[in-house]
Amino acid sequence: MKCKVCEREAENTYCELHNKAYRNILREYDVWKRASSVSWKEYLSEIVQNQYTGVWAKDVAEHLMKDEEK
Amino acid sequence: MEKYTLIVTEKPDAAQRIAKALDSHGEPEKIEENGVPYFRAHRDQTLVVVPALGHLYTVVHTRGRRNYYPVFNFKWAPRYSAERKAKQTRTWIEVISKLASNAKNFIAACDYDLEGSLIGYSILKYACGNKEGVTKRMKFSTLTKNELEKAYEKPLPSLNFALIEAGRTRHEVDWLYGVNLSRALTLAAKRWSGRYATLSTGRVQGPTLKFLVRREREIRSFVPTPYWSIRSEVEVKNSIYEVEYEKTTFDQKANADSVVKTCKGKTGEIETIEVRKHQQKPPIPFDLGKLQTETYSLFRYTPRRTSNIAQRLYLEALVSYPRTSSQKLPPTIDYRAILKKLSRKTSYRKLAATLLRRDELKPVEGKKEDPAHPAIYPTGNLPERELNDPEKKVWDLIVRRFMAVFSEPAIKQSIKACIAINGHRFYLRGRRMLKEGWMSFYKPYIRAEEVLLPAIKEGENVSMKQIVREDKFTKPPPRFNPSSLLQKMEKEGIGTKATRADIIETLYGRGYVAEERIVVTELGFDIADVLGKYCPRVISVKFTQELEKKMENIQTNNEKRFNVLVDAVNQLKPILKELKEREQAIGQALSEAIKKARIQERIIGNCPDCKTGRLMILYSRKSRKRFIGCTNYFKSICTTSFPLPQRGTVKSAQQNCKGCEWPLVFVRLKGRRPWMLCFNPVCPLKEERKKRDEMQGM
Repeated sequence: MKCKVCEREAENTYCELHNKAYRNILREYDVWKRASSVSWKEYLSEIVQNQYTGVWAKDVAEHLMKDEEK
Repeated sequence: MEKYTLIVTEKPDAAQRIAKALDSHGEPEKIEENGVPYFRAHRDQTLVVVPALGHLYTVVHTRGRRNYYPVFNFKWAPRYSAERKAKQTRTWIEVISKLASNAKNFIAACDYDLEGSLIGYSILKYACGNKEGVTKRMKFSTLTKNELEKAYEKPLPSLNFALIEAGRTRHEVDWLYGVNLSRALTLAAKRWSGRYATLSTGRVQGPTLKFLVRREREIRSFVPTPYWSIRSEVEVKNSIYEVEYEKTTFDQKANADSVVKTCKGKTGEIETIEVRKHQQKPPIPFDLGKLQTETYSLFRYTPRRTSNIAQRLYLEALVSYPRTSSQKLPPTIDYRAILKKLSRKTSYRKLAATLLRRDELKPVEGKKEDPAHPAIYPTGNLPERELNDPEKKVWDLIVRRFMAVFSEPAIKQSIKACIAINGHRFYLRGRRMLKEGWMSFYKPYIRAEEVLLPAIKEGENVSMKQIVREDKFTKPPPRFNPSSLLQKMEKEGIGTKATRADIIETLYGRGYVAEERIVVTELGFDIADVLGKYCPRVISVKFTQELEKKMENIQTNNEKRFNVLVDAVNQLKPILKELKEREQAIGQALSEAIKKARIQERIIGNCPDCKTGRLMILYSRKSRKRFIGCTNYFKSICTTSFPLPQRGTVKSAQQNCKGCEWPLVFVRLKGRRPWMLCFNPVCPLKEERKKRDEMQGM
């Protein structure tokens, strides 16, 4: 199976590198929700625009946003 | 022909200095044979001082081709037989051998450390015909006349064989790892793709790359979280001061807003005032690592650059031997004599005099020791030539640090006033210097910023002038820079003080990392991935640390070279077997990584026309001429292209033009100074230059 973002080898949706970013996105959503009660969609949009978000996390967030639109 | 004593040194500059110091008139005769300089000096006997050129011998494969592995049979051989770039070592060895045939006594005067001992040993053994057993050893930490004369008068009776064994083992183990693993990677990639690319890894390189990859992964998968803080200012005696809120961060925006709302425009009262005095001890003397860290933070010099500058200063007898781990300055170096000599320079006169007035001089010292050399210190000699700017800076830093370590602690006063406003507390902080102490010696390399407060007392009223909520986000961990990476390697105990800086440069050279704030490239990731997957031991920090420990034990006669080598080979065999078995998969992974890296290298920046494509160096199929084109051309979206110079090398300059913000390319042409080229035909800077030229023409 290929990673949905970078086409590296992947066991599930993402390769090992993007999977770590995906796990971080899931984990930090709780903190964001507690802090300013944002929706999942708003959260993804925020982290895509944020200058401190790592490139892999941005890749995954963009991919998740596209999935949401579908 | 008269027989003489042959003194072997590490470098030509050191040979000249030693010859000058030992010649009774200070004027040794310089002789040059086939481009190899050596010196004839007269003292109680005739001395011939001959330099090496660093290592003249190296570890090589006993026999066989270069394109296979595993290889475990090795020998020590002249460098010219193994390295194309070391041709000149042949004449060097020939001249030394010739000089050795007429010598009656031998003295090794190379640097007193692992590498220096090994350089001297291999020359005496191979070039001089097994004279290592009858050779005496000069031991010194500075190239000053006084110390060299003492070292010559009272040489050590023999070479330090434990140090030599440790040096030999280190080179041999590094060779075993480097050659086998690098060949395994390079051959795997070549067999898969048919194209050659140098890939390397090694015993220290692998774990170092692993640190970087681990940090890069954290940065790239980092997700920031929001937090809030309060920024506020109060008015005290008609002046405005920034104050800190008692809680530095808020997890929830509403809580921060509530504080702002409650305190805005309110007046409070100074509840308490705490005044404290505290001492700041002088810094410890420089070992090489500390010097490299300081020069990076002050001047942005890379560790290797600092090491090279310090080595030049040592060869000019301005500072002591820089490749030291010691943070101690023994009294035998004669502090007073050094300070007296330094006071001949106007800028140090007053400072040195202050220290010389003391009855006792006692340096503040660090914990680390080095049996071979003390910490880095100035010899007291003044430069005999005009030093260049970087040399001046490093020398001045070493001098001032040396003086600072003998000085008193700096005494600072800090004031913390607690202000209560509507049930909330804010802190007003001030600080001032009461006594500069060592800081006056270490200027301009230390700055003490003062915040002076007006006279305030408890119960006094204070009004809130401004209070706002600040929206913030957590930040990813910082990237390593060459200096912090060097510190990390030192902390983890991998590599030696002499090799760490070079390992970092190799990582850059191989294209595994880029930029000053180190970014791991795709190739670096893939190399670390392959190593981590197929031979994790090679990038294991623990494994390298264990090996380092064993090699250190050889130095103290607690371990045998043979055992360490056998151990290294036994560790390597299964790793190489696995690499061979999985050669195809590894080759594929690496070839793809190399391909990606090569494409990446050709990318110049974003396309200014279509905004979505990337500008890349391309080659015309018809004419084979190179040009810059947009990657969207292949999708029939954008046809933007620009011409490029056809000669020399062209690569991305990694920066944009100041005039038009377009990406720049870096052009390097043989015989010309490299230059940055803006390929924007209508760049305002070009227009300006054109107008200027026209005006001049008129």
